[in-house]
Amino acid sequence: MSRMFQPLAIPASAGIGLRSPHIGEMLTRRPSAGWLEVHAENYMGDGAGVEALEKLREIYPLSVHGVGLSLGSARGLDRDHLERLRRVCERFQPDLVSEHLAWSVADGAYLNDLLPLRYDEEALAIVARNVETVQGTLKRQVLIENLSAYVAFADSSVSEAEFLAELVARTGCGLLLDVNNVHVSAHNLQYDAKAFIDALPAGAIGEIHLAGHATNQVGADTVLIDDHGSRVPPVVWTLYQHAITRLGPRPTLIEWDTDVPVLDVLLGEAMWADMLTASIMFSRKQAARQAAATKSRPGSPTPFENVRTSMPVLAAFAAAKAGPVLSNALTPMEGRYDVAA
Amino acid sequence: MLPLEHLQTTMARSVLAIEPMVSAKMLTAGKADPLARLRIYQNNTRSSLTAVLMAVFPVTVRLVDERFFRYVASEFIRRHPPVESRLARYGAGFPRFLKTIDTLSDMPIIAETARLEWAIAEALDTASLPPRTLADYDKVDLGPSPDILLQPSLRLIVSHWSILSVWTAHQQGTVVDQHCTWTRRPERVAVWRAENSVRLVLLDRADFAFRHSLKHGFGLEHAASRANALEPNFDLVSALVRLFADGLVTNVRITVHSLSN
Repeated sequence: MSRMFQPLAIPASAGIGLRSPHIGEMLTRRPSAGWLEVHAENYMGDGAGVEALEKLREIYPLSVHGVGLSLGSARGLDRDHLERLRRVCERFQPDLVSEHLAWSVADGAYLNDLLPLRYDEEALAIVARNVETVQGTLKRQVLIENLSAYVAFADSSVSEAEFLAELVARTGCGLLLDVNNVHVSAHNLQYDAKAFIDALPAGAIGEIHLAGHATNQVGADTVLIDDHGSRVPPVVWTLYQHAITRLGPRPTLIEWDTDVPVLDVLLGEAMWADMLTASIMFSRKQAARQAAATKSRPGSPTPFENVRTSMPVLAAFAAAKAGPVLSNALTPMEGRYDVAA
Repeated sequence: MLPLEHLQTTMARSVLAIEPMVSAKMLTAGKADPLARLRIYQNNTRSSLTAVLMAVFPVTVRLVDERFFRYVASEFIRRHPPVESRLARYGAGFPRFLKTIDTLSDMPIIAETARLEWAIAEALDTASLPPRTLADYDKVDLGPSPDILLQPSLRLIVSHWSILSVWTAHQQGTVVDQHCTWTRRPERVAVWRAENSVRLVLLDRADFAFRHSLKHGFGLEHAASRANALEPNFDLVSALVRLFADGLVTNVRITVHSLSN
C-alpha cells in the first residue's frame, strides 16, 4: 500500500528537473527550489532513486513527466506501461502529470526519441482516444507537450498548434508549453514561433518548459537540436517573455538532460525565470496604475492584478533598476539577462 | 496516403536504418533535405541507446575499447531495439549478443563479464528491504526447516571465467595491468543492492548452492543438504551468520515443505 503524502500544490513559479547527479545534494542541502519534475520512466523500478524521491516528495511539490507512453502510436497504448505510470502516480501523488504529443513505439520497437505525427483527423482521433484512456486510468487531467521536430509530414492537414487546440477541446486535457521546443521547431520547419504560442488555448496551458538547444551546421542547413544540454539562450527567454505576457505566471520548469551541470546552475536558471515573470507582472501593474491615474478614476484590475508571483521583492528590484515606469517589459529583461550571463 | 500505422512502421524502420526507407515525398523540412533531417532521428536513437548500454556495461566498454563497443552496440540496437520505454530493462540480451560477435569468439570472458554487469544493473533497480538480525529471532520457535527470505535484489552468477576479478580490476582508481591474461577459473558471485551501491562477494560452491536454494524458496533444510552434498564440512552456523551479517535476510517464516528434490 502506498504511503500518504501531504498534498503540495505546484506554484506558478519556476522549478527544476530532478536529475540523478543532484539527488544527494537535494536531500542534504534542501535548496529553495519551487518544485521538482521527474521522468516517470526513471521511477518505475525499485532502485535507490525511488527511495530518495519519496523523501524529496515530502519537501517539494512534484510533477511527473512521462516520456515513453507514445500517445501518438496508431496501434494504441502499451497497457502495461500505462499501468506502471499509474503506479508511479499512486506512489508519489504528483500535482501535475504530463506527456508528449508524439510517438516513439512502432513495429514492436521503442525508439527512445519523440517523433512527430502527421497532423490530420486520423491522428487526432487516435491521440484523443489515447489521451482519454490515460486520463481515465489516472483519474486526472494530463498536460500534453508540444514537440521539437526536425521533419514534418507533407500530408498534414492542420498545424501542430491547431491539432493541440482541438485535442484540448475533445479530451479536456491541458497543455504543457515547451518554449524551447517551439523555437527549435519553428526554426527547423520555418514557421512563426510567437504565432504558434498565440494559437494555443491560453487557459489550457498548465505548465511551461525551458531548456537550451544546440546549433548544428549540416551543409547549408542550420538545424537546431533539442539536446537540453546548455543554459536557456536569450532567444528562448524572449519567447518565454512573450508567453508569460500573454498567459500570466505559469509553473515553469528548467530542463537539463545532457552534460548536466552543478545544481546551482539549474537553480540560477530557475531564479531568472522567476525574475522575468515577476518583472512582467510588475510592469503590467505599473502600466495599469498609470492608465488609471491618467483617467483620474480608480482603475479596474488587469486579469493578472490578483495573481501572486513568487518573488515580489525581485520584481520591485527589477523595476527600480529599469526606472519608474516599464512601458515595455521585453527590452529591459533581455538586457539584464545578457549582463548576468 | 498511407494509414497512420503503416506510416509509423515505415518511419520506425527508417530510424533504425532498416530498408526500405521512408520516401522523401512524405516529409518536409523547410528548405532542408528531409532525408538529411531524418538522420537526426537515426542518430538520436542510436546515440541515446548506446549511452544507455555504456552506462550499464562500463567494464565491458573498457575491455573492448570504446570505439568497438559503440560499433557492437549500434548493431545490437538495430537488430534488437528496446521493446518498451523502461530503459532500465534494456540490455538483458546484450551479453548473449556479444557471444555471437566473431571478433570476440576467442575472448568469452568479455561476454561473461557483461553478464555480471547486467546482474549489477538488475540488482540496482530492485528493492532493498529492511534486513533482519539474528537477535530478532532469539525467542522464536522456527520449527525444523524455516523459510529464509532473502533480499529480492540478490543475483547469483556462476561463470567458468574469473569475472569478479576482471570487474574488480576495472573499478575506478584501480590500475589495470594491460598485459595480464585473464584465466579460465570458475567463479561464483553473489550480487545484491545495499542502499545506493551493490555488494559483490565471491562464494565457494557449497555457499553458492546454499544461497541459491534459499533464494528459490526451497527452505533451510533443503539448502543445507545441498551444501553438505557438495562440501561435507559445510558449516551451517557460519553460513547463517554470514547471511544475516550481509543484510541478506529479510524474513524467516515457519513453513511445512513438501519438496521431494
